[in-house]
Amino acid sequence: MTDVRRRDAPGVPRHLFVLAAVSIVMLLAGRGADAQERPRYGGELVYVVPTEPASYDGHREGTFALVHPLAPVYSTLLRFDPTDRTGTKVVGDLAESWTVAKDGRTYTFKIRRGVRFHDGSDLTSKDVKASYDKIVNPPADVISFRKGQYTAIEAIEAPDPTTVIFRLKWPAASLITALASPFNWIYKADILAKDMHWYETHVMGSGAFVFVEHVKGAYWAGKKNPSYWDKGKPYLDGYRALVVKDGNAQVAAVRAERAHVQFRGFTPAERDSIVQALGPKVTVQESPWDCVLLVGMNHEKKPWDDKRARRALTLALDRYQGSQALSKIAIVKSVGGVQVPGTPFATPPAELEKLAGYSHDTAKSRAEARRLLKEAGVPEGFAFSLKNRNVPMPYEPVAIWLVDQWRRVGLQARHDFIESTKWEADLREGNYEVAVDTQCSYAVDPDLDLYKFQSMGISGNNYGRYVDQTLDDLYQKQSRALDAEERKKWVRDFERRLLDEEAHYAYTLQWHRIIPHSAKLRGWTITPSHFVNNQLDGVWLSE
Amino acid sequence: MIKYIIKRLLLMIPTLFGVAVIIFFLMRIVPGDIVELRFAGESAYAQKENLDKERVRLGLDKPIWQQFLTWIGGLLRLDFGTSMWTGAPITEEIRLRFALSLQLAIMATIVAILLAIPLGVIAALRQDTWIDYTVRIMSIAGLATPSFWLGIVFILGLLIVFKWLPPMVYTPFWVNPVQNLAQLIWPALAVGYRYSAVATRMTRSAMLEVLREDYIRTARAKGLWEKLILSRHALKNAMLPVLTVIALEFAFLIGGLVVTEQVFNLNGLGMLFVEAVGHRDYTLTQALVMLVAFVFIFVNFLVDLTYAWLDPRIRFR
Repeated sequence: MTDVRRRDAPGVPRHLFVLAAVSIVMLLAGRGADAQERPRYGGELVYVVPTEPASYDGHREGTFALVHPLAPVYSTLLRFDPTDRTGTKVVGDLAESWTVAKDGRTYTFKIRRGVRFHDGSDLTSKDVKASYDKIVNPPADVISFRKGQYTAIEAIEAPDPTTVIFRLKWPAASLITALASPFNWIYKADILAKDMHWYETHVMGSGAFVFVEHVKGAYWAGKKNPSYWDKGKPYLDGYRALVVKDGNAQVAAVRAERAHVQFRGFTPAERDSIVQALGPKVTVQESPWDCVLLVGMNHEKKPWDDKRARRALTLALDRYQGSQALSKIAIVKSVGGVQVPGTPFATPPAELEKLAGYSHDTAKSRAEARRLLKEAGVPEGFAFSLKNRNVPMPYEPVAIWLVDQWRRVGLQARHDFIESTKWEADLREGNYEVAVDTQCSYAVDPDLDLYKFQSMGISGNNYGRYVDQTLDDLYQKQSRALDAEERKKWVRDFERRLLDEEAHYAYTLQWHRIIPHSAKLRGWTITPSHFVNNQLDGVWLSE
Repeated sequence: MIKYIIKRLLLMIPTLFGVAVIIFFLMRIVPGDIVELRFAGESAYAQKENLDKERVRLGLDKPIWQQFLTWIGGLLRLDFGTSMWTGAPITEEIRLRFALSLQLAIMATIVAILLAIPLGVIAALRQDTWIDYTVRIMSIAGLATPSFWLGIVFILGLLIVFKWLPPMVYTPFWVNPVQNLAQLIWPALAVGYRYSAVATRMTRSAMLEVLREDYIRTARAKGLWEKLILSRHALKNAMLPVLTVIALEFAFLIGGLVVTEQVFNLNGLGMLFVEAVGHRDYTLTQALVMLVAFVFIFVNFLVDLTYAWLDPRIRFR
């Protein structure tokens, strides 16, 4: 599902093709080498982080800016397999193994022995329980950012130092994914008992690297943990995460080999610039990204209260042509449904084709759009505002594409490119007609990716302002279906209702993650989420 | 003189108070809310319960007048409080960046003075010759060239030609002077060139004016050595407006190099300022505005005092 090849646009200079070919070869060679070569010990990985978090506490923050520099310092109960390109396969981190009761309501985890915090103390089930108690049932003055994802948990028990039991109120299909959250760092119980806010300003984990320092606005540094439980790891002596906020400066840092990588992503133009400058010294990894821009339609404003008008907006889009054109200039590419293409719950292409606006017969779709608009009483040349946030990539090109697509069915959208804060406030307050909305998750999972679309009142960021009991029921069904095939069916039903029958929202194109990195960097695999696979324990430098 | 200094120092208080009132209420008018920005990272949904807890923690649930009095009370004790975004003491946030911003401002000022004063004087002395025209073209080009653009040119030039980029992390001068200068010389040149353009034009026009004064003609008539006339009589008097321009520009550089800092990835006060406003970090923005206002007022005060030394005709009352 990930695309490790580089496809260049027609008209791209020949030397770029050559460089691209070189990078493909290097990448393929590198992949093979990763599997065959013995990892090399030593060296400091230098990478760029584009922004900084407000606090050091993973439980209260929601930004990658915290995970990228501090994930190497911490352990989690479970984690996403660092070699899995779908970013959906969960493996144990502190958990050596686990069992699930037949009724799906009791999860028992065996915790590894011999894991130590960086202060030398042993990590036991007591620490796991204390950390999850803080996440699931925080005290009144403590903020838990993802508390809402753990409502199924009834109790957490630590009957002995190596066992943790999660008892659920109802079966939860996403529990294992939720427990692999890259933010759910395991803190020391004794510290939490003394001060629940300690980790907001201090760093002390049990991960592969020991925290050295954070100079605000400048860099983060970590050094190898010699007592890491996974003997032989990590390979690196340390890491340094440079804070580089300007996009051009980030590109320059990688181009000039001041940094090996930036783990969030670059644009196609930035990728080409780096490949052109570094040639075989760079490797490019690409993947569909678990972020998507949506067309939000305010159901409280006419004509968007009429599903015929909403369907017309999605029918007008030629997503396949849009993908070809926009992927050359913006970080969008794949045409997908409510799950990232190539992942376990993604829509098969044949089913996708049946949804409104996903047919390859664009002329037919647009004729249908015109018919629906006429039926709904929307006149030719109807003008409306498309509110968008003033973040150029990829909001601006996608919105311009939308305006063009709608013009082809006789609609005149005015692109209102407004400051992010105002855009967010307007969406929240329903002060818009049609808007570019967004959905991004820390992992590809139906519970995480579909939560937003439940009825207003259940979902706090359903900016379409609709109530749809059927959709809510479908969400619950998929969320509690422990059988993967059954869950897929409910996800498809949810998707059909959301994007086709009711057309509450319209998906544009999946974001596309592009990571050009130094060819020296080995043992790191791109995933659809920029939040996962940042622990760096298996990463090494080839020279 | 002492009375004048005390009077000027006392006048700073109402000015700073006015700035405090304006910035406090301006920040509250700006749309957006630090709490929602704080918890809406990465398009995530912020639970109302979390937002309410945070508002209480930051004191934003209290009436505006109470928030204002608390803040002003802190200012009077020179306690700027903590950043609403990071929770760290504001003095610590500023201290981290102040050294870099101050050094860059000093270096850019030195570059500007080294370019502006000789070029301005030469242009005035060789008025309407090719030298004058060259200096004028250089200074107009400097005025027309944003320093961040010049910075980008420097970076691209270094990257493409030498495959080298200045260091990305600030090292204090006393720790490693080479590393420090390798990082800061480029922004200092980019900023200093633009800065020098203003000062060059001011030096040239001030010199032209002074050179036509009667006392210069008198000095020449009585046979004074030309170099002495220029340095002691002409340049010293021509420096009054130049000094004002240089001083105000220096004060601006302390917190105003936003884009240049971005381009060169400098962890300075300008970037901090922009981030503070972007985050709606009221306490940090207010503290930074107060700092910049103080620097402007203080630099102005120093300029006024220097006037008396440069021009003995100026007397303080």
